[in-house]
Order: sequence, then structure tokens, then C-alpha cells
Amino acid sequence: MTMARSTRWLLIAPAIIYLAALTQAPFVLTLFYSFQKWILTSPELGVTFVGFENFGYTLFQDSTFRAAVLNLVLITAGIVLLSLLFGMIFALLLHRKFPGQGIARSLAIAPFFVMPTVNAVVWKNLLLNPVFGFVNYFTTRIGLPRVDILAAFPKLGIITMAVWQWTPFMMLILLAGLQSVPDEIREAAEVDGANPWEEFRYITLPLLGPFVELSVLLATIYVLQLFGEIFVATQGGPGSATTTLPYYVYETISQANDVGTSSAQGVCAVIIASVIATFLLRLLSRTFKVAKA
Amino acid sequence: MTGRVRDTLLTLLTYLAVLAIFFPIFWTVLAGFKTEGTAVAQPPVLFFGPTFENFREALTNANYTSFFFHSVTISVVSTFFAFLLGIPAAFALGLFPTEKSAGTLSWVLSTKMMPAVGVIIPLIIIFKALHLFDSLAGMIILYTAINLPLVIWMMRSFFAEIPKDLIEAARIDGADTLHVLVGIAVPFVTPGLAATALLCLIFSWNEFFLVVNLAGPNASTLPVYIAGFMTSEGLFWAKMSAASTLAVIPVFIAGWAAQRSLVRGLTMGAVK
Repeated sequence: MTMARSTRWLLIAPAIIYLAALTQAPFVLTLFYSFQKWILTSPELGVTFVGFENFGYTLFQDSTFRAAVLNLVLITAGIVLLSLLFGMIFALLLHRKFPGQGIARSLAIAPFFVMPTVNAVVWKNLLLNPVFGFVNYFTTRIGLPRVDILAAFPKLGIITMAVWQWTPFMMLILLAGLQSVPDEIREAAEVDGANPWEEFRYITLPLLGPFVELSVLLATIYVLQLFGEIFVATQGGPGSATTTLPYYVYETISQANDVGTSSAQGVCAVIIASVIATFLLRLLSRTFKVAKA
Repeated sequence: MTGRVRDTLLTLLTYLAVLAIFFPIFWTVLAGFKTEGTAVAQPPVLFFGPTFENFREALTNANYTSFFFHSVTISVVSTFFAFLLGIPAAFALGLFPTEKSAGTLSWVLSTKMMPAVGVIIPLIIIFKALHLFDSLAGMIILYTAINLPLVIWMMRSFFAEIPKDLIEAARIDGADTLHVLVGIAVPFVTPGLAATALLCLIFSWNEFFLVVNLAGPNASTLPVYIAGFMTSEGLFWAKMSAASTLAVIPVFIAGWAAQRSLVRGLTMGAVK
């Protein structure tokens, strides 16, 4: 079907212009600010063009920045891979027909709806608190030492909270994938004498390929922006153990009021996110093609 | 091991796994009904005389109710505007695709992929200059932009499913574009519309990064209120749990109602 060009434009343009104004335009400004020296709380210093000074400082002098990038990569990778693993287990379990399947699925996706700050207050206090938390009650009962996970293993603590939240996300996409695998194929494999592991490894998993790919890609893009959990549970600490790039940008603008440096960090964050997304897209589609062949 | 036994064991394992993943929510809701003393009791208390005091207190706390009101206003109004802007675009892209449509859609998606830290600094400065900082209007403007890519992608996938004959017939009968859109296309995709709206509401309701950077007491939403518990009342677990429970209930209702279209929304319409 066709549509007059002018009608088309009238229908599409408002949305495009709105999006451009609120996402592209601010990013261009971020780029612009990243070449300026501008401290919000010191207006007497004015705003001056400093070339690549902010980038030079960020990339070569600021060790916290490097730590923040490394933390971001480690925490994101941990969250995505563990969520994928648990999501796959839940998807396989919930794909089977059993009494109460509907309710079980509804309960299993619930963590995904919980807002990040509630997730963090609940885990930090009710579950992981070293004295009154449920997890420590449980672990000390079976003879393990009492640990303050968020103090002793802060990255693990953050990863745990986020994995709890993102497992249902992975599960949902993989469940949709499992539903698209025709039962006949798997039944045929069973008839041919494949054990459940072989059936999963050689039949289900390759057919799930595109869904695994999609879930990893989307989760990575979202998890790279993880912020609320860190803001509430650790404030980037102890030290800078859980300071990821988004949290560091937040600190630079809200505490140091440094527009230039925080903009340079923001530009780096966008570049890193695009590089990771592009790399992941290539890698995943290649592995999947190999698996298919 | 016979098939029946294996099946039963797998079902039991499934129940256990589901209980485990749901446990933190169950435990929080339960803690909301406890007194502060029972909430921190060791060993943890499972059975107790419930109190509604924490919920009553949250709902009568002027701070809490005003944050709740901000959440409702911002998420409902921004969803409305995202629909107003997004539906016409999705209609054109879904039912009348041209060779340029794929490019337009990719571009729309790329705006969604932009990390918020890449735009937050100018937003803070512009919002302060335009007096949008800490205002409901400012947050509505931003959340509309957050939800717009979702509305365009998801509704496009629903519009694309409308039989072309239906549209052609109406056009032959002389219906103009507006009538086709409002009279035929939109009624046809009502379930999709509802699911998309619920997802927009959920994402706006839970958003934290932008609101914590761009709003103060006049426009902050529930996620900010809950975050505030850590600094001001971190030790009041029962109160905190009741407030948390009330904050997530609307999302659970919306999420479970939209469950069937959830995957479609989360994958921007890629998986149906």
C-alpha cells in the first residue's frame, strides 16, 4: 500500500523530531561540553575551551575512571552470563507442562517488575544484612561463617541483586524461544535415543541460538546502565569497588559539579556502550553461524 | 529411573526454584506486616500476628503520598504523550512501509540504546535554565521520549498484522488517512495498545537515573522515596518493607496483566 509523501511526513515527523531533540541534541551538547572547562559551583572561573584536556585527564590520569570502566565490564559480564544461565534453567523447567504452570510463571517473572531501588533496599537489609539478614541466618545455621557480603564481596553483592532481577528477563525470551522449537524435532531426537543432555545440547540449544543472542544483547545494553542498585546498596563503594561508569559520571556531576570532565566521561560511556554492542552483535552472530553449521 | 518419577521430581524442583526466586518478594511483603521488632528478629519469624500499622503509616505520610502522586502523574501523562506521538508514526511505518522505513526504525531503536549518562549533563543544565528542573512537566517531557521508541516499535508490529484488504477496502470507500487510523487501525490493535501502555507505565514507574538527577521534592517519584529510606530510616525494616510493597504493587498488577505481550515489548516487537 502506498501513502502520499506529505501524509507520511505528517505522521512520522513529530515522533522523529521529538526523539532527536531529546536524545541526539543533548548528546551533541555533551560532546561540546566535553571540550570545555566548566565547574558549576565556580561561575567566576567562567567556561573556557580546553581542547582534549578533559579526555586526557579522564583517560590517562584518572585511575578511578579506569577502575570504573573495569568494574562496569566485570559487573555487566557477571550479571549477563549468570542471568543467562539461571534464565535458561528456569525456562527449561517452566517450559514443561505441570500443574500450576501459569502461576509458577507469573511468580517467576515477578522480580523483573521490582524497581531497582526496592531491589537494593530489600537485598541490602532483609536478605544480606550481616546481623539480621535472612541469608546469613541460613548460612550460619549450616556452619558457614557470618559475612557482610556487600562489604567483603561488594561486586558479588551487586551482581546477586541484578541477577535476581534479570533472570526472569532471560527466562521470558528463552521461553518464547522454546515455544518456537517444534515438539516433533525433540521427540524425534528422543526416539533416536538422545539423552536429555544430548537433546538439549544438539537440538534445543542450536535452535534457541537467535533467542540466546537477542537476550544477551538486550540484557547487556540495559545492564550497562545499571545504577539504582549501586546508588542504594553501595554508593559505588567500599572505596571504588562498585563504582561503574554511570555511577562515576553521577558522582562527577553531582559532587564535583564538573561539567567538562563528567561530559568527557559520558562521551566515553557512549563509545564503550556502542563498541560493546557492536562487538557483541558480531561475536554472537558468528558463534551462532558456527553452531548451526 | 522411570519417566513418571523423573517427571515428578522435575516438577518438585520447578516448584522449589520458583519459590526461591519469589522468596525475596514474599519476605518483603511479610515484613511489611511485622512490627519493627519482629522484622529484625533472629531466627526470622514466619508466623506472627500481622499489623497494618506500617501500611497505614505509609499511606498517611504526606511525603509518601506526594511521591506516589508524582509517580502516577508522570507515568500516566508521559504514556499518553508517547502514544500521541508514536501511534501515527507506528501506523505509517507498520502499514505503509517504504524502503526508508527500516532505516527510520533502526534510528528510533538507536535512540533507545543511548546510555542515559551520554545525555544527562546537558539535560541538567538545560532543565535548570528552562525551569524544568524538579518539575512534573520536565519529567513528563523526558519519559515521553523514553517510551516513544517502545511505542513505535511495538505498535508497528501490531499494525503490521492488520489485514491489508481491510485498509484497502476502507480507502476505496473514501476514508481518509485519519479515519483509517482512528476508525479502523486503532480499534483493530486494542489489545496491543493496552499491552504497550502497561509496559510504558512500568518503565516510567521504575525509572530512577533521570529522576534522581533531574528532580527534587516537587517531582521525585517512588523509586527516589525508597532510596531515601537508606539514609533516613534504614533501620526501620517493617516500615521500609510496607512502603516498598505499596510501591511495587501497581507494577505487579500492570505486569501480570500485560504478561502475554511482555516478551514482545521487551524485545521491541522482535519476538511475538
